[in-house]
Amino acid sequence: MIEVKSISKSFKTVSALSELTFSARDGEITGLLGPNGAGKTTCLRIIYGLLRADSGQALIESVDANRYPLQARSNLGIFPDKFGLYERLTVREQVRYFGELHGLQAEQLEHSVDNVIERLDIASLADRKSAGFSQGQRMKVALAQALVHNPKHLILDEPSRGLDVMSTRILRDILREQRAAGTCILFSSHVMQEVAALCDRVVVMAAGKVAAEGTPDELCQLTGEAALEDAFVKIIGSDEGIAA
Amino acid sequence: MSAYKTIWKKEFKDALRDKRSVLAAMSYAFFGPMLMAVAFFFLISQLTDPSDVKISIDGKQYAPELIEHLRENGIVERDTDWPAEVTPIELSIPENWAEAIASATPIAVTLRADWSAQKQQSDIKRVEQALQAYSAQIANYRLILRGIDPRVIQPVQVAKQDMATRGSKAALIMGSVLVFILLSVFWSGMNVAIDISAGERERNSLEFLLSQPVSSQAIVIGKVLAASCFALFGAMLSLILIPIIFSFVPLHQIGMSVDFSLEMLLIMFLALVPLALLATSLQLFVSFRAKNFKEAQTYISFLLIIPMAASFGVEFARLKTPLLYYLPLTGQHQTFLSLIRGETVNWLGAGVSAVFTLVVAVLLTYLIGRMLKSEKTVFGL
Repeated sequence: MIEVKSISKSFKTVSALSELTFSARDGEITGLLGPNGAGKTTCLRIIYGLLRADSGQALIESVDANRYPLQARSNLGIFPDKFGLYERLTVREQVRYFGELHGLQAEQLEHSVDNVIERLDIASLADRKSAGFSQGQRMKVALAQALVHNPKHLILDEPSRGLDVMSTRILRDILREQRAAGTCILFSSHVMQEVAALCDRVVVMAAGKVAAEGTPDELCQLTGEAALEDAFVKIIGSDEGIAA
Repeated sequence: MSAYKTIWKKEFKDALRDKRSVLAAMSYAFFGPMLMAVAFFFLISQLTDPSDVKISIDGKQYAPELIEHLRENGIVERDTDWPAEVTPIELSIPENWAEAIASATPIAVTLRADWSAQKQQSDIKRVEQALQAYSAQIANYRLILRGIDPRVIQPVQVAKQDMATRGSKAALIMGSVLVFILLSVFWSGMNVAIDISAGERERNSLEFLLSQPVSSQAIVIGKVLAASCFALFGAMLSLILIPIIFSFVPLHQIGMSVDFSLEMLLIMFLALVPLALLATSLQLFVSFRAKNFKEAQTYISFLLIIPMAASFGVEFARLKTPLLYYLPLTGQHQTFLSLIRGETVNWLGAGVSAVFTLVVAVLLTYLIGRMLKSEKTVFGL
């Protein structure tokens, strides 16, 4: 369970988030939907403790991410906004590295690494160095890094960006599997189809605030529109910055 | 395993696979001593040139004894023409030589040469000295002939006692070699330090690394240790290569001897350990602030000037203050100098400077750790 409680954050004079409140439940996929610059990445960075909120709390299993970032992160799998791979290491070495950083050791570590490589179906890549990987392959490696310690919460920042149809489908399958395993998944996106196809609940953000919250159907009913995209436009009040 | 060890191991493995980093660490240690040895080789062979000086002599038929004296001193008349780019050294003996000698009047002998020509310096000096020696010889004969002790015209006799031991003479030349060894810890780890800080940021892996449940201090400690390993690897390589390469340089020909004992090399290496930690933490401190690899490289090249200026400054200005024994960098430098001169090492100074160096390194490491917690540096806000 991830709870965001009235978080405010401003950079110098620019207010990025103001009194943002929502929660993401276990065994559900929560989509954070908003146009570019709505504060999605800032919000996620506060949740994994990389940015400090000016006021308010982000709780992961009731652990305050700002006060105890290490403890909060040990329960998190993260797929950041920018993920760079270590191109001189093999996939297995990278995944093992992050497993070790999560405190996994010896047999447990090897087991977790083998397990995540199998789950993501990247055995054929495992002993190759990641230089020259395609975007889809890189996405899988980044996911493997995020999932190696079997986190109860998964945070993804626009995971489908740059992926082709096949890779996007694989990503969705993986997320659904995780959901079935009871993981709390929070992901940000500005791609409507993806949110509609995947999310149990949608939090629509605009200008650092929650503009609406509910299942995709509820949002459509709320606005009286048939398609989520139209509902979204109506909610945020403009059609600026929405990817088709 | 503790997080810092995990990071250390990973960064080290990563850097070892980076050909640029390995090459940077090795090339400095390898080519530096090589270049220096070649330079010394030429310097020595010029200083100890034993061959005859060949000059043009005009009017040699007038003064056969002088010519004989010059020949005994290795100065002979040339039988070939001067090369076009060299100014000739010409000695002219006037016609009235024998007459002037007989009447004991001064004779004007002309020596024509280019005194500013670097290459001919020792040649010209030898001719001058030979002429003066001949002049002094005749003066002595004349005084004796007149029944005067020649010593009356030498009221002050300077007794030159060269206090320079073989070792301390060598220290003069080896001083620059020592500076080179000191700087090896700054050079060899440099590329790794940039790669694991500014490089990590540029490749967009910094954010994910910082989002792991690992304290930023552990991350920095791991990184400092990994880069320090490279710095020390370069230092070790120079310490091994320098004695080998310098055993081929004929230092004994200019009255010098340098013995690199194993013990001395070991002490030098130990003294370099804290310095390597300081060098890499300083480099990480600077390059974590840079936005990308190139920017970090620019900053770090400026940073390199500090240790270079400090050690060369002390070396050439012959600066002598006891403070030097206790400071980082200069402390290690003084220890090296004492070692190579064969003097007793100021162990207190060496110890204090080692601790001082370590403290600064730890402090810098701590500051980088704090810096990585600040969103300003992480995201460059």
